[in-house]
Amino acid sequence: MSPSLPKRFAVRVGAMAWKEVLHIRRDPRTIVLALVMPVVLLLIFGYGVSFDLDRIPLAVSDLDRSEASRRLSLAFTTSGEFAPAGGEAADGADTAFRRRRARAILVVPRGYAKDLARGEAGRAELLLDGADPVTANQILTKADAIALAETQRMASEAGAAFAPPLEVKVFTRYNPEARSAVFMVPGLAAYLMAIAAVLLTALTIAGEWERGSMEQLFASPVGRLEIVLGKLVPYLGLGLVQLLLVVVVGATAFDVPIRGNPLLVLLAGFLFLLGMLGQGLFISVVAKNQLVATQAGALSSLLPSLLLSGMLVPLDNMPLPLRLLSTVVPARYLVDALRQILLKGNGLGGIGPDLVAMAAFAAAIVGLATARFRRRIA
Amino acid sequence: MSAQSTIEAVGLTRRFGEFTAVDGVTFGVERGEIFGYLGANGAGKSTTIRMLIGLLAPTSGSATVAGHDVASDPEAVKRSIGYMSQRFSLYLDLPVFENLRFFGGAYGLWGRELESRIGEVLELTGLSEHRRALTGTLPGGIRQRLALGSAVLHRPSIVFLDEPTAGVDPVARRSFWRLIRDLSTGGTTVFVTTHYLDEAEYCRRIGLMVDGRLVALDTPSALKRAWVPDRVLVVRGRGLARAAEALRRRPGVHAVEPFGAGLHVRADPALWNRAAVQEALAAAGAESPTVDETEPSLEDVFLAVVGGSAAAGASGAGAAP
Repeated sequence: MSPSLPKRFAVRVGAMAWKEVLHIRRDPRTIVLALVMPVVLLLIFGYGVSFDLDRIPLAVSDLDRSEASRRLSLAFTTSGEFAPAGGEAADGADTAFRRRRARAILVVPRGYAKDLARGEAGRAELLLDGADPVTANQILTKADAIALAETQRMASEAGAAFAPPLEVKVFTRYNPEARSAVFMVPGLAAYLMAIAAVLLTALTIAGEWERGSMEQLFASPVGRLEIVLGKLVPYLGLGLVQLLLVVVVGATAFDVPIRGNPLLVLLAGFLFLLGMLGQGLFISVVAKNQLVATQAGALSSLLPSLLLSGMLVPLDNMPLPLRLLSTVVPARYLVDALRQILLKGNGLGGIGPDLVAMAAFAAAIVGLATARFRRRIA
Repeated sequence: MSAQSTIEAVGLTRRFGEFTAVDGVTFGVERGEIFGYLGANGAGKSTTIRMLIGLLAPTSGSATVAGHDVASDPEAVKRSIGYMSQRFSLYLDLPVFENLRFFGGAYGLWGRELESRIGEVLELTGLSEHRRALTGTLPGGIRQRLALGSAVLHRPSIVFLDEPTAGVDPVARRSFWRLIRDLSTGGTTVFVTTHYLDEAEYCRRIGLMVDGRLVALDTPSALKRAWVPDRVLVVRGRGLARAAEALRRRPGVHAVEPFGAGLHVRADPALWNRAAVQEALAAAGAESPTVDETEPSLEDVFLAVVGGSAAAGASGAGAAP
């Protein structure tokens, strides 16, 4: 009649967890939030929010109309990075930029071929739409590279070996093509898991308060820890499925490598999720209604994991206060750990500090939430 | 109180800041008894229940439930009781049997024992055919039976029901009370709050709360004798309205109130009986009135207890349908 204490504990946690699984199954919103949204966001970020620019519309204003000027504009438009956007008068630049017909205009002034033939430096102008500095910067880099290649070509045609005084060769490791998907997937995984985990737990516990069933639970022998564990376990499972989904979609759709041990990915995800679920728990324990819990949950998960995780903005460039703040954002450690595992193939040695930091956050926040969680009403 | 008592409260008090919700309540409930706890909204019924089930710590005073002290050992109390809260707290998005499975699990039941108890409770509450129905699709009365069923899965010796029939239609209320009586017959102690005075008649004993204090406690008929010593008469006939006015002015007549198509008369038994009332009404112009003696209702008791001007305010909440 009276089973042992650990068994009763397991039965009660099991009952809570199973009930939660049933809620999740019944509620299409949860499934959408947890499993469909990540894939959609990943595709949007992967394809849409790409920092790799190609086929930038380039207008050419060729005033020289010589063989040399035509070759210069061809060098630009056949590179694949720029796409010809028709001819344009230099004084029509503003209109072209405003109507977004072109992001850059190549102006070859009259006398370009003559200057070259005289052995002087050929001058051409590149007008840039500086409204978006990221794009403008990339255009500049690419234009420099094309100009350099064109110089080398002309030099070799003239029979003279072109030897620049200093040549720096850059080899980028781990993401040689600088594809943003490779860079983004670890960040996205953290971002998506943070939102889903914090929001879903915050909602489920606040829901029990609103519905009045929390009082019923408190009147039963189910303990705080049992409620907390029963709530966490199903969402932990859901979060790990989410992580796998993001990694697999990243690998198949965007060729994000998985160089390290996939089990380490799961371990890092597990520790991160514990912290995020604890954060959701804490919010719902304090908020007690779904509306406030949603807002607090979204704000506290979305912004830090987007801005302070190193996903979009490198942490090293941030002002000191923000850098300090980021040390308590678990997303930062997950992004770092995932990049290490996926891109570099690092093992426990490399990600150890990240794991410790995430575990510490999880322990602190779950402890805090359980302590704040009072089983007596009022 | 007696050694038989399974709930004992002594001077139980709860304050919220300046406000005293429950003020020095003392009573005992015997094993297997249906104990009704009556009062207007805000009289302190729910607060009393919450203290008795270990949800709320008493400010002062003490209570033991099933032999456990509610202040020092609330967990032991929780294990030995069933509780059905005022707010409907089943999970509407789960099927009936999953709700039962969950609450069974919450009390540590599992495996074959859990399944067999679920079967028994479905049988007891007459919900076997709704086993797979989504709880949210069931009418209120059936949900209340399910809520009671999930409160008794673990065979508690005492169940606390906080306004279990609020908002439930009269037919469903009757079937719910049949269920409560079955439980009591089976030896379960039932502590139930209500503000339906007709329901209170089903209770073996009634405690009446006014503004946080327990002002009366006894069986329904003893309460009626003690609080309504008047003779209560029901009058039917025609032309009663004018005659009522005349009767009301006669000495020893305490109340003359419309009751359906007739009148409800409360009067001093020393001065008035059936014949006297009939005569007085006929003399005042009523056409062949018939007068029958009746027992005072609990509503009469409630009005008498709350008394005077307070009665006007409380009768709305305490009115029998």
